[in-house]
Amino acid sequence: MNLIGILAGVFARPDLWAGTLRFATPLTLAALGGVISERSGVVNIAMEGMMLVGAFFAVLAAAATGNVLVATLVSVACGGLIASVHGVASIQFRANQIVSGMAINLLALGLTSFLLFHFYSLSGTPPNIPALPDITLPVISTMPFVGKVIGTMNIATWLALLAVPVTWWFLFRTTLGLRIRAVGEHPRAADTLGVNVFQMRYLCVILSGLLSGLGGAYLALGVAHSFTDNMTSGAGFIALAAMIFGKWHPVGAFLACLLFGFGSSLGINLQGSGTGIPDQLISATPYILTVIALAGLVGRSTAPAADGTPYEVGE
Amino acid sequence: MAGHASRINTVPSAPPALVTSTRLRETVAPAAGSTPKLAMRGIVKYFGSLLANDHVDLTVVPGDIHAVVGENGAGKTTLMNILYGLIHPDEGEIVIDGQLVHIRGPRDAIAAGVGMVHQHFQLVRVMTVAENVVLGQEPGTIQLDMRRAVNDVRTLVERFGLVVEPTARIDTLPVGLQQRVEILKILYRGSNLLVFDEPTAVLTPQETDELFEILRGLVAGGKTIILITHKLNEVMAVSQQVTVLRQGRVEGVLETARTSPPEIARLMVGREVLLRVERDAPHLGEVSLELRGVQAHSDRGLPALEDVRLQVRSGEILGIAGVSGNGQLELAEVVAGLRHMTGGQVLIGGRDVTTETPAERRAHGLAYIPEDRRVDGLVLPFPVRDNLILGSQERAPFRRGWQLDNQAISQRADDLIERFDIRPPRRDALASALSGGNQQKVVVARELADQPKVLVAAEPSRGLDVGATEFIHQQLVAQRDEGLAILLISSELDEIFSLSDTIAVIYRGRILEVMPSASADRERVGLLMAGGMAEEALPTAAQIAAAAAEAARAAGAGARGESGKGGA
Amino acid sequence: MSVATAPLEAPRGRILRFFAAGITPVLAVVLAIIVGGLLVLATGGNPIVAYQQMIVGAVGTPFDISETLISSIPLILAAYAVSFAFRCGLFNIGAEGQLYMGAVASTWVATTLSTWPGPPLIALAMIAAMAAGAAWAAIAGFLKARTGAHEVITTMMLSYVAIDISHWLLEAGPMTPANAYGTPESGPIPTQAYFPVILPSSILANARLNISLFITILAGVVFAWILWRTPLGYEIRAVGLNAKAAAYGGIGVASRMVIAMAIAGAFAGLAGMAPVWVQHRLYDSFSPGYGYEAIAIALVGKNSAIGIFLAGLLYGAMIHGSVAMQANANISGYLVEILQALVLFFVGAEMLTRWIIRRGGLRAVLEAAG
Repeated sequence: MNLIGILAGVFARPDLWAGTLRFATPLTLAALGGVISERSGVVNIAMEGMMLVGAFFAVLAAAATGNVLVATLVSVACGGLIASVHGVASIQFRANQIVSGMAINLLALGLTSFLLFHFYSLSGTPPNIPALPDITLPVISTMPFVGKVIGTMNIATWLALLAVPVTWWFLFRTTLGLRIRAVGEHPRAADTLGVNVFQMRYLCVILSGLLSGLGGAYLALGVAHSFTDNMTSGAGFIALAAMIFGKWHPVGAFLACLLFGFGSSLGINLQGSGTGIPDQLISATPYILTVIALAGLVGRSTAPAADGTPYEVGE
Repeated sequence: MAGHASRINTVPSAPPALVTSTRLRETVAPAAGSTPKLAMRGIVKYFGSLLANDHVDLTVVPGDIHAVVGENGAGKTTLMNILYGLIHPDEGEIVIDGQLVHIRGPRDAIAAGVGMVHQHFQLVRVMTVAENVVLGQEPGTIQLDMRRAVNDVRTLVERFGLVVEPTARIDTLPVGLQQRVEILKILYRGSNLLVFDEPTAVLTPQETDELFEILRGLVAGGKTIILITHKLNEVMAVSQQVTVLRQGRVEGVLETARTSPPEIARLMVGREVLLRVERDAPHLGEVSLELRGVQAHSDRGLPALEDVRLQVRSGEILGIAGVSGNGQLELAEVVAGLRHMTGGQVLIGGRDVTTETPAERRAHGLAYIPEDRRVDGLVLPFPVRDNLILGSQERAPFRRGWQLDNQAISQRADDLIERFDIRPPRRDALASALSGGNQQKVVVARELADQPKVLVAAEPSRGLDVGATEFIHQQLVAQRDEGLAILLISSELDEIFSLSDTIAVIYRGRILEVMPSASADRERVGLLMAGGMAEEALPTAAQIAAAAAEAARAAGAGARGESGKGGA
Repeated sequence: MSVATAPLEAPRGRILRFFAAGITPVLAVVLAIIVGGLLVLATGGNPIVAYQQMIVGAVGTPFDISETLISSIPLILAAYAVSFAFRCGLFNIGAEGQLYMGAVASTWVATTLSTWPGPPLIALAMIAAMAAGAAWAAIAGFLKARTGAHEVITTMMLSYVAIDISHWLLEAGPMTPANAYGTPESGPIPTQAYFPVILPSSILANARLNISLFITILAGVVFAWILWRTPLGYEIRAVGLNAKAAAYGGIGVASRMVIAMAIAGAFAGLAGMAPVWVQHRLYDSFSPGYGYEAIAIALVGKNSAIGIFLAGLLYGAMIHGSVAMQANANISGYLVEILQALVLFFVGAEMLTRWIIRRGGLRAVLEAAG
């Protein structure tokens, strides 16, 4: 069976496309958070860490309270908390934002592994924790093919889909959004007009943390129903790439997340389908795809002008 | 046409001789019974151990255009930033319309009626005019009401004659129009005390005249204006009073009608200053730099240079006059080898260097002083000595085998520091610790060190005070006398006229005309810089003046003092 | 505004500044230890005992010292990889993948050419390690120079790809040994290719410390020499500090970026080879995250050859000491990861660190640090 035939067969599987949406969900949430944060001028590469922390505390809270809503809120809050640490370091203390972000990622990794071992040492997380519910659409789910793809989707996926236009409206149609974008492009101009640069940036960084935390909650409570070491495996970085690929625009980032989600889903679906390519290499697909996207197909995309530059008041 | 009005305003072009008489400084007290619009009293501001404002007093009469002049580092920008709330004074008070005000930030300043048009425009380039104007005081509560914003801006445009399209993106507008957006911003907030920080730095002479008419119109409409500038002819043209700052202190407050540029310059610098460089006639040699049919694109892919043909001979200074943004940057980069040409050739000393890298061109005798020394010219975290060999690090004597020869580098550094009178605070200081003038000297020293054949000098005295400018100009002329061919690019017409033997005017990437400077007419050059003919139907200076007079008459009758309609 | 030229700074001033420069990293380590200790306390452990065990475990016996050194070596080399790139303005966070490529390449050479005599085989393996790491890193450098693709993401992605490749090679590919079971591993390195052990077993029984220690020291010398004594190093540093001015001065920015990444990758390649040559075979997932820890070490060591060496020793001590800490104080080894991340954070947020210290009343210390 040749490669084209195999691919055609795989493409026909609804699970490929459903999987795309599933993989794209946490990516979208994190990427939207990244867009908001960077639009205000704060580089946030700590989304990986915020998702991971969100995932862990989602499981912890779910096991402790048995209530998935509480657990989700806890994980969202944790994401926001971690983000505010990044915010304080970057905004108030003008730390190098990439270093701060990396430190948080490493901290999240170590902390979650440490706490995982502390709470659940040898047995791993408990098996029966409450899950984020799937939502089944009444009519659509009975339709052929399409029904299998979008008929039953997790609530988090719906939230992610909803978050895209909401983020767009927030950034481009509200007064707050105008100020945020001004702060990200030319903080001095905004400051001279009385806009509080620091406040805007804190807000956006924390929002990005909340969204990433939600993404983590989905991974833990919607997909894996558990927490394992480093379960995000680079998803936060892929979300970052999606943000860049999408030119810092909510809709663009979302489309990029669909693309990368497709890459991951394709990887899974190709494994064991007789392509002759070893599984270990297939699992590298999303990463290779990201590199290619960043390198070639995008052209040069332009970040908000003041992205990554700490703002100093006065001169 | 605008030419007419400007004749009244320009200072006579003959260079003033050294001042032979000393005038008494005259302090002007406000007319008895009238409250000053603004009184800043006893302002003190330290930056670390540097005293930027030393008990500065500033008093502005309502309805005046009051000029604040001084060299770079004199403290004028600091003073205005204090007024606008961007920084806080260590001592002193601010009184507006007789009321003591506490300005903690721009919001307070705006509330007190102060508006600032910054030297470096504070505009978000990717947003529209209307978005920039309303930012921070947007119509609509949560949802932004763009329609109302655009209408509000349009109303202002019509009222004050600051013609600009509210829905246009800033980065599509030429600089003169961008400045109008800055003015609209402060008018939108109802400011009555308008501060203009070096507003004419990027304008053509014609646009400058138009700006002055706008200023007069604003005054007629009841505004009071503070003008920060270092251009003495503008001070003479448009202000009523001048406050001169030097090294943080007020050196004098003068009535414009009763003073002169040499007197102001003397107060600014503390000694006699030559306002023009003494220069012999050039001894011209072979053609050292030639551009044939050069074409290039800007960073955004639009044509920036079209069919540029230039020749610079050894011993000649060719000055490119033009408003920033007409292709000068691309021209300099094309000659230096930093920008790809889409057509044409560049020859140095007769040799075609079109395909050569910057390093190769340097090896063949090209030197380049870039426009922005901090960004392009120096590696600020490097020590001065390392900056002095930038570009030569691969060559002997600085390279010995696989390694750098530190002794040779130090020797070169000492030599250049001596020759060019560079003054670092410590011998092994980093470039970032030097003053602007000394930084520029480092760049100049490095570029001139190896007796180049051709020098491209872009904005060589930008941001430098009178003393440093004098030095740099003298160096350039001295090198010219030794046979260097200099391509001088400057948006300061004074500098072009002062230094050039030949003047070429660039407009939208084309060289419109080349003329010997001795017989060049400043008016004509200014016209060419603006394209030769006015292209849009902008209100002429005369029309604006007439409208302002109308408004003044209407203001006399009305309560609010704002004109109902202005402009064309 | 300008002052007459003054004489060069006195030698004593320079030594003082050297120590002052070291203060922030030291303070960062102290803060990290404190916060880590709080975490231990919060989860019911005893921080004093934990740290005590860590120190004893790291340097308590000569054997421990030699093991600490062994742990430090790949960290130091990987940190040179991160730091060299950083000097060119590039964030090389993909050192992990680069060191995997180095490990794989050197192992492949050694196991394939197993009949070769010792010295040439070692030399070839080292060259292979450096070349593989260099090539892998140069990809990201090239992409950045040509397309502007952000190296933080590309090096990270390439890291994952490299690790996947190594998995494939050992589990299902050409390097899988015939009778594989349990943790995948490569065939053994031929004995003639072993690095000679420094201390013979008569002095220290079972010591594993080999000449890679000297290689590491030499690497540090080379690192400093290239950067500070050669025109290439000057150019790399100029590009890192102000690429535009470097271009205006005639330096080829794109080529320097690629070269800098390649040299960085070479260091990383050696970092991958070192642990394989200690264990005498390549184990699947052999790296506990050397490449990521290296980022912190590079920053804590302030991107200087000596600083990185010292910081690497510290981290090696933490890692080796954590074995004893886990065994005797029953604290999870992940504490070390947390400590490392905290140190990175406090070093990165330098002003935050200073603010905290200032609140803690060590103002005089800060004044000296400038």
